[in-house]
Amino acid sequence: MSMRSQVYEWANLAPSGQTSTLRRTTSDLPVVLPANRELDLFIGGYGNNITKPAETTATQFVVIEDIACAAQANGNVQIRINTTDYFQNPDVTNMLGIPGLASPYPRGSASSAAGTDNLLKSFDLYPDVYVLPGQTWQILYTTRDGVGSSSSTDVVAAFVKYTLYDGPDALIANKLLELGVTINPNNVDWYKRSLIEQQQAAASAAAAAAVTGGA
Amino acid sequence: MRSQVYEWDATNYASTNTDISASVGQQTSIFVGGLGNNITKPAETSATEFVVIEDIAVTPTAFVNSGSASDYRGLTLTLGTGIAGPRAYVQVRINTTDYFLDPDNVPNDGIPGSGSPYPRSVNFQPSFNLYPDVYVLPGQVWDVLVTWYNNAGLPTAATTCQSGDLRAFTKYTLYDGPDALIANKLLEMGISINPGNVDWYKRSLLSAQ
Repeated sequence: MSMRSQVYEWANLAPSGQTSTLRRTTSDLPVVLPANRELDLFIGGYGNNITKPAETTATQFVVIEDIACAAQANGNVQIRINTTDYFQNPDVTNMLGIPGLASPYPRGSASSAAGTDNLLKSFDLYPDVYVLPGQTWQILYTTRDGVGSSSSTDVVAAFVKYTLYDGPDALIANKLLELGVTINPNNVDWYKRSLIEQQQAAASAAAAAAVTGGA
Repeated sequence: MRSQVYEWDATNYASTNTDISASVGQQTSIFVGGLGNNITKPAETSATEFVVIEDIAVTPTAFVNSGSASDYRGLTLTLGTGIAGPRAYVQVRINTTDYFLDPDNVPNDGIPGSGSPYPRSVNFQPSFNLYPDVYVLPGQVWDVLVTWYNNAGLPTAATTCQSGDLRAFTKYTLYDGPDALIANKLLEMGISINPGNVDWYKRSLLSAQ
């Protein structure tokens, strides 16, 4: 299991009286979200969170393959590696990221809570985003409109799909990066095969040399 | 090499309302969890079997407004929750290891039904595909676990549901006998295990003879 497809889903849901939770519960209720504030899906203090910032160890390599968020309330989603935002404006200034209208989650959902349309994606995260060993990464959700009031709060969600390469596969991912080859499960497998073929060729050559030397 | 499918229904396809509230918020095995349709023993591969899990999915959930109380796209919505449907997740477990982790390396509930819905429709489309596939090697025990949090998102009453309200699905390919040996060989070689590559390996053996 050294290459694993992974998913993280965030929603502004937490037990009553809290703004965030480490574990989903059966009594989660929508949480009000401020407008125009970047909220870290992992440790942002809103909705479901995890125990520590997302970071890769020295033997891990992460490839982010898809990000998406709810289109309601003008939601946007951004990737940050260490302190660098991935998506920028053409003038190289900061932006909020990919709009939920362009990369909706759930796919097929409506553009507003009362909508009847079915949103499809206009955006594909290609090329993928690489998180190298030792880097910290964040997925940031921002709503331009803010979400909710005491009596009526939209539930908004965001989604990230990534592949976690661990151990030997992370080393191979680093090697592919050096070679300028795209990092995906197929190419990692290809690199393993080429290593095996090289070893077999070397063993054959050594055996042939031994036979020749013996004669 | 056989393509296989297993569908789980929380009510065991009952025609009457069934109370499933005792299991809400808990991981429930779709094979031997004691809820819905089950099989006779845990799913495991014999010494001559190799399983490749290619897809998992569960009943979807829609995120709407907490001020709404009307059903949403066929999913039940209770006033105040903003969640239509069961808020269900599906996890794969090999022996004792959960496959899906949070970025802090803590096992999570798995794939959300909103990301991998079953059944798929125009309203509920997948954001997730299980690639690379999950391999179950010979002699391993595997399980598919469903967790749902919103019993109020199931129709009829707060504690009961009907057939079709909460379902999960898994698609896998079972390699048996010689094909399982080839699957192991492909695994050693770092080649993806799929019917096309197994056939390629057989052809290469034949052409080498």
